[in-house]
Amino acid sequence: MTEVLITGAGAVSCLGVGVEAMWRALCAAPDSRPQRVGDPGARVRVPLFHLAGTGPPPGFDPDRDTETDPDTDADPDAHVYGRASRLALTAAREAVADAGLTSEETARSTVVVGTGGGNTERTRRPLDPALPYAPSYTVASAVATALGATGGAASAANACAASGYGLGMALDMIRAGEAEVVVAGGAEAYARVTLGCFDRMGAVDPHACRPFHRDRQGTVFGEGAAVLVLESARHARRRGVRRHYAKLAGAGWSCDAHHLTAPEPGGEEIQRAMAEALADAGTSAESVGCVVPHGTGTRLNDVVESRVLGAVFGERVARLPVFSLKALLGHTAGAAGALGALTAALVLDRGTVPPNVALGDGQDPDCRLSLPQHTPLRLTGRHALVNAFAFGGNNVSLVLEEATP
Amino acid sequence: MASEKWTGTPPGTPPGTPPGTPPGTATAMVTGTGVVLPGAKDAADLLAPEPLEAVGRVGPERLPSGRGARKKDRATLLALAAAALALTDAGLLDDEGLCVPGDTVGTVVSSNLGNLDTVCRVVESLSRDGTAGVSALDLPNASSNVIASSVAIRFGLRGANFTLCNGATSGLDAVGWAALAVETGRVTRVLVIGVEPANAVVERLAGGDAPVRLLDGSGAVVLESSASVRARGRGARATVARYTRRRDLTTAVGVATDGGARVGLWLPPQGETRAERAPAGLGEFGDVCDLGRTLPSASGALGVLQCAAATAWLADPGRRHNAAPTALAAAGGGATDDAAAAVLLTTA
Repeated sequence: MTEVLITGAGAVSCLGVGVEAMWRALCAAPDSRPQRVGDPGARVRVPLFHLAGTGPPPGFDPDRDTETDPDTDADPDAHVYGRASRLALTAAREAVADAGLTSEETARSTVVVGTGGGNTERTRRPLDPALPYAPSYTVASAVATALGATGGAASAANACAASGYGLGMALDMIRAGEAEVVVAGGAEAYARVTLGCFDRMGAVDPHACRPFHRDRQGTVFGEGAAVLVLESARHARRRGVRRHYAKLAGAGWSCDAHHLTAPEPGGEEIQRAMAEALADAGTSAESVGCVVPHGTGTRLNDVVESRVLGAVFGERVARLPVFSLKALLGHTAGAAGALGALTAALVLDRGTVPPNVALGDGQDPDCRLSLPQHTPLRLTGRHALVNAFAFGGNNVSLVLEEATP
Repeated sequence: MASEKWTGTPPGTPPGTPPGTPPGTATAMVTGTGVVLPGAKDAADLLAPEPLEAVGRVGPERLPSGRGARKKDRATLLALAAAALALTDAGLLDDEGLCVPGDTVGTVVSSNLGNLDTVCRVVESLSRDGTAGVSALDLPNASSNVIASSVAIRFGLRGANFTLCNGATSGLDAVGWAALAVETGRVTRVLVIGVEPANAVVERLAGGDAPVRLLDGSGAVVLESSASVRARGRGARATVARYTRRRDLTTAVGVATDGGARVGLWLPPQGETRAERAPAGLGEFGDVCDLGRTLPSASGALGVLQCAAATAWLADPGRRHNAAPTALAAAGGGATDDAAAAVLLTTA
């Protein structure tokens, strides 16, 4: 079967701009605190969000590049694109440069972006006619247009699993021979509607995003984008690629068909997604050396996912390192799957599992997972598993495999 | 499909598929359709040359009712109605419920405007009344995948569940993604729905200062693997032969027709590119089904409605006469579109 390599990556989040900035922050495991949002229209009880970092992307050359800080009004793109599009563009430009794609190779590539809300600030247009109209699919279109990618732009809108689905779609496209290079990822920007609805449900943790903590009170959302350059091994060989982060080896999809907001308590379909992803990758649970879970900090979700991980990995779950990314980034919704996949790729590339944000003795006894803290661990195992789940029971699991020389 | 030898068994491989069958060798066939539009009771009605009564809204008698329905947005109700028709038409749903295991049926929903009415109302409520103005049900209803999730929950569809929001090509992209999922063995059957609601919010969003006529309706097709069609002993109506998405319409049509294959039914894009003249990539063709002339702007629903219409045409030898047994649907490619897509269907 066609091997799909990750040959480039880009990221932006509250940890800063760029993959290396993200990796340094993951390894430092800082005590991550969300910010109070300054949206006067968000009249909510807990106005917390992890806002994306500022600053130009790596390699930014003000004499050559036209974009600047996506947060500033000086950004010329701000008048054309919404904030999610600009976050996606920042990550995509880094990924394409990182992969060393020529302009001709980029032009032949396909773009897939998952986003839950897209440029949600534009949904205020009925209230503010001065805002241009920009539905969510324009995020993928904006990336394709800015990169000059003519292989088509696709937008997955599977809420918090959107970019996980997007990466799975990209994997199948390359395997089926529909594309050789797919610039795939996810982006999510601050959304008043998301914050307000979760606040209404009492599901925003007033302290921080604390997955698997016994005192967790919900999630805290975050902005971010991650974009991966996926390409067939044959295409990578042909253009002389010397290194890749990892392979995207398998994907598994399922749907709970149970409830619009709550997971199916038995986790049957979550388990099926994980099992199918492992089978699709041609591997078994024994080969997995790290899990990047969905783990959002909401009470039931964390418990169900923990139980299912126990069912999939058996007694080994007690020592299998789980890296709880959202404790640092917040829940980046439609971008979460891509940021999780990027983290897994870096874990495999660096052979290191970063330390988790310290839970101390606060780990929920119903979440019997290994969450190593304080120091990085050496990775053992050739594969990493990434989970992304969404409202409505949309489940996707991805399996990444270590790079081969 | 790439030429490397496939030795594994893809997830969701249909029963009866020979071991080692590579993904990409299964064929996606259309086994059911459903249409919920003012003035159209089924897919064949879409073939009418004159404009349908689709200026208005779908009547409440055609939508789900009851306590649960009152809590759902209009796009979800329209999608649920089309889903029931298509699943029943495919022989997958009866009075007892779903007739096949739920994990063999996936869902793909295409909608560009979808639940924007809910999202905009919540944004406005938050600004005016704060959290107190927001309902507990607004949380799931404002989620971007609420339509596909609601359909899956209602009918117990536990296969892959996609929501696509892809602009003008979205409906054909949804059919393309569904065909790929069937061909790769990820799922045996996929319910593909295209839906757009007409309401004041989306009209203001989409139209700006200029009044705009938007479709209020939905269409659905059921795609199923050829192995499953054989195993169920049920006839298929059409086959999805090819899907392509390219930067411009001429290229997309050229690729879909492999450089000029004869097309029996041409279903052009809506909007500025729906001119009577065909794009340069299109060779000889017979009939035309121009939904741009007979329907208001169908946006994300267009491609699915086109495929439903094409299926009705292909399945009816009386309509086809001596035309080539192929139908080509195209969308996008206009000055404001980022791409064009085309789906070629053939007789089953």
